[in-house]
Amino acid sequence: MITMLGGEMPEYAEEHAPAGGPLYRHLLERLPTGIRVLIAGPHDTDLIGALADRRDVTCLVRSQPDAEALPGNVLCGTLSKLTDADRYDVVVALDGTGRLCSPEGPQLDWAESVRVLRRALRPGGTLLLTVENELGVHRLVDPHAPTASRTGDAWRPLGEFGTAPGRPDRLAAALGAEGLPVAAMAAAWPLPGRPTLLINPETLRYGPLDALAAFASAAVAPAYDQVLSDPRRLAAAAVRRGLGAEMAPAWLAVAQRAHRPGPTITLPPAVFAGPSGTVTEIVGMPDGTWLRRVVSSCVVPLSPGPGDSGTTQPGLAHGPVAAGVTQPGSSHGPLPAGRLLEERLLGAALAHDLPYLRRLLTGWMTALPMVPADNVLVDGDRFTVLDPTVPDQPDALARLAHTLLTGGYHHPWPGVTDVPRLIAVLAGAAGLTEVPAAPDDPLPAPDGRREHEEQLDALRRRLADAEARSRFFEVELEKREAELGRAKTQIAAFSGNLGFRAAKAGLVLARAARNRLRKGRS
Amino acid sequence: MHHGNHFYGHAHVLAGYCGLDPADPPRIDGYLQHGWNVVDGLGAGTPYAPGLPIFVWSERTRRRAWSMGRPLATVTGAPFLYLLRSGGEPSAAEREGTIWYPFHGWEGQKVSGDHHRLIDEISATESGPITFCLYWNEYQDRRIRALYERAGRVICHGYRGYMRMRTDPGFLENQLAELRRHRRVASNRLSTAVLYGTAAGCEPAVYGDPMYLDKEDTPTADRIRREWPELHGPAPDPATAREIVLAELGDGHLASPAELRAMLGWAAA
Repeated sequence: MITMLGGEMPEYAEEHAPAGGPLYRHLLERLPTGIRVLIAGPHDTDLIGALADRRDVTCLVRSQPDAEALPGNVLCGTLSKLTDADRYDVVVALDGTGRLCSPEGPQLDWAESVRVLRRALRPGGTLLLTVENELGVHRLVDPHAPTASRTGDAWRPLGEFGTAPGRPDRLAAALGAEGLPVAAMAAAWPLPGRPTLLINPETLRYGPLDALAAFASAAVAPAYDQVLSDPRRLAAAAVRRGLGAEMAPAWLAVAQRAHRPGPTITLPPAVFAGPSGTVTEIVGMPDGTWLRRVVSSCVVPLSPGPGDSGTTQPGLAHGPVAAGVTQPGSSHGPLPAGRLLEERLLGAALAHDLPYLRRLLTGWMTALPMVPADNVLVDGDRFTVLDPTVPDQPDALARLAHTLLTGGYHHPWPGVTDVPRLIAVLAGAAGLTEVPAAPDDPLPAPDGRREHEEQLDALRRRLADAEARSRFFEVELEKREAELGRAKTQIAAFSGNLGFRAAKAGLVLARAARNRLRKGRS
Repeated sequence: MHHGNHFYGHAHVLAGYCGLDPADPPRIDGYLQHGWNVVDGLGAGTPYAPGLPIFVWSERTRRRAWSMGRPLATVTGAPFLYLLRSGGEPSAAEREGTIWYPFHGWEGQKVSGDHHRLIDEISATESGPITFCLYWNEYQDRRIRALYERAGRVICHGYRGYMRMRTDPGFLENQLAELRRHRRVASNRLSTAVLYGTAAGCEPAVYGDPMYLDKEDTPTADRIRREWPELHGPAPDPATAREIVLAELGDGHLASPAELRAMLGWAAA
């Protein structure tokens, strides 16, 4: 049933994907049943369906076409029209506050939006709020500025000029000041609306940073279409260098209205969703070690695109495996130590540390030849799969060759400029007896402008070298031709007829006489 | 590529190591460093075809080449080390005396210095028998050869070859065999031969009148003395010297036959 609040958008359907994905779904499923929930802003129907299972769910959206496509209770209108007539146990705003106001009426800033959402909570109620980081990795690698957006909802494209808090600690302080003390917080990758990795800011300070950096790198790798530079390196370096929380694309805050115990969810130190939708938690043990465990294994369909009217009935379809059910295999057990192999390989290549590079390649190809370097942790001589739910790749070594060349990285074989030959060199360095074939199709990798520039520069250098080399060979050829001409004359002189030889001998004598005369004069 | 790749039979040694016919090494896709130097790995005045790799002996040389505008250097290690690795076991015969390499230029250069005084100093320093190894053009100079023959045995490892003609592919093997007969290797300049000797197990020494080549860049010679004082003198510490020498020859950087084949452009050979 749709209730029109006022300020709704009758013609407009949201153009960008709603909030969703396996990780948000996993978190929302942990909310207690029998509660009243307000879902504010565009959220995936799959997410709404999962929440609606034994809970009283109301959605708030500004778009009328989107509202008509949603099941259950729907409030349609702009945020400022939401009254506190209805109070909820939980308000879910995983899409943030950016798509709650329509063009009609006041344009609430971040704090004002939070205030409205707070008023919709019962005392002790819980707000789940995602806040986009305008200085997050996703923004830093984005070739397009949000302030220049031309989409139909960009009537006030503030971007980094907006008022949302810019750091997790400031976010906690701002929510606290609004009477919403934060109970839990997580930094999110790769996108605010659809994270596949959540890490607690404290864990980003004191946790297993090398492994977490590897997870951040894996999370951003497939997430952006076009980028300024490779987001994997930026995300991983930020985590490793202690800036993970500050440079994460978003923060998820779990805040409560007043300090009264109410329905809430706890966030583990880290939790991630693999490509198949398997959710794995990382938890700390009393002895200081870290454990990973699969907590839900479900197949999540792709999110509906803009205007998608697909509906999912609560409680139907792909029910998740209950929390705590484990999967066999190495996804479950101690979190392997070590750093991402790909980073170690690139580091060794950049440092021109050939002995170490060969040791890494040999160890990798012996232990895990089918696992790409961006899914392997290396600790000394120990190689472990980072995420066992990622499928094997037969062209793991070829992928590294591709990364080295297209990424513009220095490496110890600068004269090798084509992928098949670099694969042969790497295979030799790895001690393989057979050279893996080069893949026919270009391998998937972030499409970075900086890398394009590097490739263009490399091609310019190669072209300049080729032209210079062509001139060099031209000169060499002229020299050789002159030598050949002299040799031919000599051969003719010794093999030709008597008359020719006599004439030649005469010429030699004449030349000698001339030289003597010249010498005498000087 | 450049005929310098065949000097001293370097290409032949690498072909043998790679499992190819050592008598007929395929064309190398780049330039092999053919002697120890403190520049970019190429010999002075080597005509360089732009865009081709230089296969240098050590990481230090690669760094230096980069700084000198030669970015396409790849460290392969010295061919002599490949020979050491693939060659047979060292002779059991006891090492004796010193193999002494008087400083030489190449064919187009002339050394100026006092051979008499140098020989006197060598004889006063060395306690055992002395083998003088002369560069081929000095070996052919009867006057110079006679000078050294008065003080010891005189040998020549062979002709390094020129324009792929008269290359002695066994040059390095001859040299290695001689080095392994001696307890010490010495010269009046820190040079390739001293490095090879040290790698082959001799104790090195660098002393005596350094002599000078016509138009030689003497600051370079001085720079070498400043950079490696540990290798100079009549009796440097052998362990320290060996460590430095092995790094200069690229020990630890040698490629496997498969990797070397791919690097040199021999993968299809």
